[in-house]
Amino acid sequence: MNYNKLLLPLMIACIGGFTQAQSTCSTPTVITAGQYTVDTIMGTDIPAPICAQNGTAGTDASEWYEYTPTDDYSIVLSTDLAMNAGGDTRVHVYTGACGVLICHGGDDDSGAGFLSVANFNVFAGNTYLIAFDNRWSPNGFDFVLEEYPYVPPTSLPVTFTPNVLSDLSSGYKYGVVDMNGDYLDDLVSVSDDTLQLHHQNAGGGFTFTEIQHDLVNFLPSWSLAAGDFDKNGFNDLLYGNGSGVAFMKANVDGTSYEVIEGSEYVFSQRSNFVDINNDGNLDAFVCHDVDPNVYYLNDGAGNLQFNQGGLGDHPEGGYYGSIWTDYDNDGDMDLFVAKCRGGQSTAKINELFQNDGTGTFTNVSVAANMYDSVQTWSSAWNDFDNDGDMDAIIGASSTADGSHKFMQNNGDGTFTDITAGSGWDNHTELNIEHVSYDFDNDGYTDVLGGGGKIMFNNGDLTFSPAEYNFSNGPIGDLDDNGFLDVRIGNTIYYSDGNDNNWLKVNLQGIESNSNGIGARIEIFGDWGKQIREIRSGVGFRYMNTLNAHFGIGEATEIDSLIVWWPSGTKDMIHNVTINESVLIVEGTENLSLLEQSGKSIKLYPNPTTNKLSIENGELVSKEKVYIISQLGQVVQSFDAKKNEFDVSALSPGMYVFIIEDSAGKKYSEQFVKR
Amino acid sequence: MRYYETVLVLVGLTVGLFLYSCKKEKEEICPIPPTEEPSTEGVNVDLTAVPYNTLSEYQFFDGDLADQLPAEGVLPYKPASALFTDYAKKKRFIWMPEGVKASYVADDELLDMPTGTVLIKTFYYDDVQPSGNMKIIETRVMIRKATEWIFAEYVWNETQTEAHLDMMGSNVQIDWLQDGNPLSTDYRIPSDTECMICHKSENIAIPIGIKPQNLNIDYDYGDGPENQLQYLISKNYLENSIPMSINTVVNYKDESEPLEKRIRSYLDINCAHCHREGSHCDYRPLRLAYSETAVSENMGVCVEPDEFISSALTHLIAPSNTERSVLFYRLQSTQQNERMPLLGRSIVHTEGLQLIEDYINTLTDICD
Repeated sequence: MNYNKLLLPLMIACIGGFTQAQSTCSTPTVITAGQYTVDTIMGTDIPAPICAQNGTAGTDASEWYEYTPTDDYSIVLSTDLAMNAGGDTRVHVYTGACGVLICHGGDDDSGAGFLSVANFNVFAGNTYLIAFDNRWSPNGFDFVLEEYPYVPPTSLPVTFTPNVLSDLSSGYKYGVVDMNGDYLDDLVSVSDDTLQLHHQNAGGGFTFTEIQHDLVNFLPSWSLAAGDFDKNGFNDLLYGNGSGVAFMKANVDGTSYEVIEGSEYVFSQRSNFVDINNDGNLDAFVCHDVDPNVYYLNDGAGNLQFNQGGLGDHPEGGYYGSIWTDYDNDGDMDLFVAKCRGGQSTAKINELFQNDGTGTFTNVSVAANMYDSVQTWSSAWNDFDNDGDMDAIIGASSTADGSHKFMQNNGDGTFTDITAGSGWDNHTELNIEHVSYDFDNDGYTDVLGGGGKIMFNNGDLTFSPAEYNFSNGPIGDLDDNGFLDVRIGNTIYYSDGNDNNWLKVNLQGIESNSNGIGARIEIFGDWGKQIREIRSGVGFRYMNTLNAHFGIGEATEIDSLIVWWPSGTKDMIHNVTINESVLIVEGTENLSLLEQSGKSIKLYPNPTTNKLSIENGELVSKEKVYIISQLGQVVQSFDAKKNEFDVSALSPGMYVFIIEDSAGKKYSEQFVKR
Repeated sequence: MRYYETVLVLVGLTVGLFLYSCKKEKEEICPIPPTEEPSTEGVNVDLTAVPYNTLSEYQFFDGDLADQLPAEGVLPYKPASALFTDYAKKKRFIWMPEGVKASYVADDELLDMPTGTVLIKTFYYDDVQPSGNMKIIETRVMIRKATEWIFAEYVWNETQTEAHLDMMGSNVQIDWLQDGNPLSTDYRIPSDTECMICHKSENIAIPIGIKPQNLNIDYDYGDGPENQLQYLISKNYLENSIPMSINTVVNYKDESEPLEKRIRSYLDINCAHCHREGSHCDYRPLRLAYSETAVSENMGVCVEPDEFISSALTHLIAPSNTERSVLFYRLQSTQQNERMPLLGRSIVHTEGLQLIEDYINTLTDICD
């Protein structure tokens, strides 16, 4: 059967010869199932987008084929043939038309050696374009297109579609985090004299800004962290470098950055912003590869003071992946450090520090059963069993001293190793990055680790891998659709989402640090309870979103939401609207949720240009009415007796409208001034 | 005997060198002739007092410190293949106290050096711009105390008259001509912590280069080439118990040597201090000591990486495929978190990279 099919194209190749070897998207060679020979890749059309892995580098030619099935099939398109041994091919499969192609499949290296095998489904009558490119080699090869009975795809919990940004000059494309206080995640890209920011626009897309700054010696080779340590509404950055630490301090409107570099030698690894001494101001912590850890205490005036000692003092260091989490549910941030070191050195043994709430940290690794020498660069912490406390996946970077561990929090300050049978015991992919989010919004937090695999949480203390064609990068919601996206360099892998519902919680700290880093957020509903923490610096290298992101599966109601702030303040709201972001301003209730005998307070219009009015204002005995900026500063106060307020003098932007009642209770609502 | 020679050499050198240095630095004030007689004590290493605050206190060198003329008993040496540190040039010396000597352990193991041994390594550049002069940056000293080796890091002053103890680490901008081509680097002088990252085994400080496999080559001490190990024996620095045949690395620059030996020699001196058992990164699968790389898997051939960099980089070494090889990628990278070696290199070693490319391109294995 293959023989005939082989003959025909060969004859065409002989007759048409050159034409076939220089095909373009608009002049593809039409094929059916069978084996074909590609002579040399020399067609000048460059495939776009790139569907298979490994980017655009070195790709400037391709050969194009067009295939229109007569029935629905599952297709194997392969160069993995004995005659191609030693070759290196790559293929992309498209639907759509030239110039507006849509990736349908593709592969680089799934075959033996560097040969390709693409598996995809096709439907009768549709036309598919196939392009082999010269990413690795222009040399000719044979390929086969085989039709098999249609098998519906095994459905992945969620899928992602790549979107390539224009090339960025920055070498360190390490950030996905809101930088300008609108709670929309932005892209942060770093070089030694320019900060490249893509501010996410409300409604989609980005506004690109380049901010020149003084030369930075300490680039974030090892890690990037973000937090607003001077509480001015614009996030500052920390660059963790192999020779020292640099801070980038945003000015009053985020249009320029001051470079602050310490003289201290720090072989930085993971870095974090966190309020270590719980004084309401963000401090900074940096893991040290070869010495005791260092940290920078904030004096409250936005100055950071270098400290070393008390937060991991092994003289040989070995500190790689710090993560701040309240593992003992006592309301303060504790510290776990994933550790790594060659030889017999005890520097490789992981360390867990318990915060007593006064800034004193005690190494409790042994008592907590977290004293482990597994070679790890990062651990992923979340409440994987939704029982109200933080569990951990200790992600191995090498199997020299054991592999991944799934440690279940017993709720009494100890952990039990439940790796066996959890799926982590069979997970052989090693990585320096392990981070936990609910990627499929099913209400159970997953883990992105090695091998481009997301370990999806089955909700029963087991995980199942699903493979994607991206690896690790910063994570956030870059299209504000409630599903988390992954950035890999210049490419954003946008989550295609699914039918699951979600909630995002954005925090504005007042007494606590303004990012709400260290806050614990709880949501209650059909699932019981889910918890999150706001953390700056998870995994090993990147800076991810500072918004709390929850999936709630098929549930349609969230009964209540509680935020436990680092200050101890507790905010609670009921009847939270799903599939939206909700802003919680520390110490205030959400105004729209104030409901009495069927009547509720409404703030309108929103957005507004001149006036704000409140409906049913009599529901609360207004004592004070004022507006605070995203910076937490009061920018306008009003006569509390009125129900209409002139806001025309405010600069455009996002604000919080606050009513304080006679008992001192505060109600807030976010609005946009145009 | 040794004492007698010291006196003679010192007297001769002192007179000659003062004249010489006066001529050399015409513009500057001539050094005032010392009122005291120059020390005839020879090398001064008091194990209870080291590390000294200055390099000169050891009296390792005769005459101008910058001339690095070894005093009696301070023996120059060089390894067959040298570590690349941003093209810095090096002078290396070993000194031992009277009456003790080192002994052979194995071809690929450090000599067992007696208490009091000192290793001295000076890093300098020629053709430093804009002056075109030679500039000494640092002198690294390792001293064998009774129980352990200690590091002593000496940073040279601008006038090149003295080097001061500084264990904190620092950076120096160097612009120079390398074979006529301008190059520059933000040269890193290591802190004691950084010294330890490479100079350790099971967290005990150790030297790196002083192994029979590296020293079993000729060196011209002034009377024509002599085998360095035989020379050490003749100077009573090494027991005469070395084997007849020593598995010796080659000079990786020597194109008359087989490529495989050259690459293995290069990897040994540049990488094996971290990629061997008991070292900083021994949890990674590479084993890059010369005595281990006869097994190509230890060099990473067809070994999949633990640490993900890019899906394009499928193996530590992908035969005939530098674009797919992590080893090649890391050696051509200057980004801190990707480059190898981890320390000591901030610019690309073009010749070393070429060597690795040449070697990878000779490999024909098909990986599974």
